[in-house]
Amino acid sequence: MGKSYKKLGLVVLLAQVLCVPSQAWGSCPLAYLDPGTGSYIFQLLIAGLVGAGFAVKLFWGYIKAFVVSTFSRKKHKDDDQQS
Amino acid sequence: MTSSLKSIPSSFRDPSGFLFTHDSRIYRQINTLYRPHWDQLHQSGLYDTLTARGLLIPHQQADLDLALTAQACCVIEPERIGFVSYPYEWAFSQLKDAALTTLKIQKVAFEHGMTLKDASAFNVQFHNGKPVFIDTLSFEIYKPGRPWVAYRQFCQHFLAPLALMSHCDIRLRRLLRTNIDGVPLDLASRLLPSRTWLNPGLLMHIHLHAKSQQRYADASLKPAKQQTISRLGFLGLIDSLTTAVRKLSWRPAGTVWGDYYNQTNYSDQAMEAKKHIVSDFLKRIGPTTTWDIGANTGVFSRLAAEAGSQVVSLDIDAAAVEQNYRWVKQNKTQNILPLLLDICNPSPALGWAHEERLSLRQRGPADVVLALALIHHLALSNNLPLGRIARFLATLSPWLIIEFVPKEDTQAQRLLASRYDIFPNYTQQRFEEAFGARYRILERVTVPDTLRTVYLMQRNESKTS
Repeated sequence: MGKSYKKLGLVVLLAQVLCVPSQAWGSCPLAYLDPGTGSYIFQLLIAGLVGAGFAVKLFWGYIKAFVVSTFSRKKHKDDDQQS
Repeated sequence: MTSSLKSIPSSFRDPSGFLFTHDSRIYRQINTLYRPHWDQLHQSGLYDTLTARGLLIPHQQADLDLALTAQACCVIEPERIGFVSYPYEWAFSQLKDAALTTLKIQKVAFEHGMTLKDASAFNVQFHNGKPVFIDTLSFEIYKPGRPWVAYRQFCQHFLAPLALMSHCDIRLRRLLRTNIDGVPLDLASRLLPSRTWLNPGLLMHIHLHAKSQQRYADASLKPAKQQTISRLGFLGLIDSLTTAVRKLSWRPAGTVWGDYYNQTNYSDQAMEAKKHIVSDFLKRIGPTTTWDIGANTGVFSRLAAEAGSQVVSLDIDAAAVEQNYRWVKQNKTQNILPLLLDICNPSPALGWAHEERLSLRQRGPADVVLALALIHHLALSNNLPLGRIARFLATLSPWLIIEFVPKEDTQAQRLLASRYDIFPNYTQQRFEEAFGARYRILERVTVPDTLRTVYLMQRNESKTS
């Protein structure tokens, strides 16, 4: 049950990397600081990368366990077939 | 509105509100324009969370009648900061801790549906021994998809100077004094060694970021659906910056006075005797505030702190101040603030109309100045006449505890070893005459087993001009 939730969470998070909301722009009278065009565009360019990196970091334990269990299952199958 | 109300000159850029003083107390006016964000700050529980964790300065509601303009929706009185310091006066670890505090606040704010609209290093102060965010109006409601407005400012104020100090030279901290809005990223990128292109955090947030700034310098931003970033992308950016900052380090080594107390000509007995003399003088004064000038690693600052004084512990040596700060942090000492400062070239008034950042003297006076093992550096290494030293010190505090180090002292001899002795007036008699013109010499005690004398002096108020 817990594993299913984690899987779902991973899917949602990864989907967030690709699907971004609109209407982020619009007037904001309080944004008194000039973010700098280059800095703003640069964030848009790296967002996917750092987002994906963050998702991997968040779910690293789960990913590691998933990979280990997949390979160990395969190994068990191979061992069973050999015996 | 009364005539004693006065706006603070450093608080004028943000239309959300500003700081002002009234009867020596500091208030912040919050304008109606900021109301939705102010409500969100409190209703979301962000204010309570941040203040409970000691990340944001707490405040009390004040009377709206104190407001300076009609745009006000409320007035608050933030908890008072003992001594306002600036990033160009901080040791490496202080700037690093301030950077991590800013990112931590951004992360917590994001969990509460808010974001920081600026990330100036000047928004952080050291209060009770820890970095704390002081700009309560820096929070705005997070608009989904909107990149972090303060990203460039964070990189300029924190990441670039930390990277330069860590990878080039610790003295590059001074760039924060000449660049009041942080170190330009193209400059940082040019100064950093080429090996930093292999560091993922610095490659992204300094080198490529600087390239992007150059490439899109003349471009205009147009609203478009694709010009947004996801929540995960936003969190990833903060996490990536946190990792980049955490990986930066600086180990103090090879500085001239960093291990001064190990090289001193004091025997253990003499050092204990000097501590006893200074403690005794401090007890007689009972100072609320102490400035320890030439504090080195803060040995004598701790005596003043133990006596209950709020101590600003100043030294020119980056390694000594770094050690002092690490000690303060490790021991959770709340009333010592170590700062990097060259007393021969103290922090000036900076910024618009010379009013945004105060000079050292403008942030005084202290109750007492400690000037121990300092006079020979000022007079013999920096050619400062004794009369001028007395005149300047007298502007900083009404009390002075000062140590006279004669030419015959081995440490003074070291300073004279490579130069002509052009200081015929550097004698104990001339010292007493010069300081006697500004102060009443109340007591002089020779430190046993040394040639040195520690003085207790009180400013002569009729001769301070």
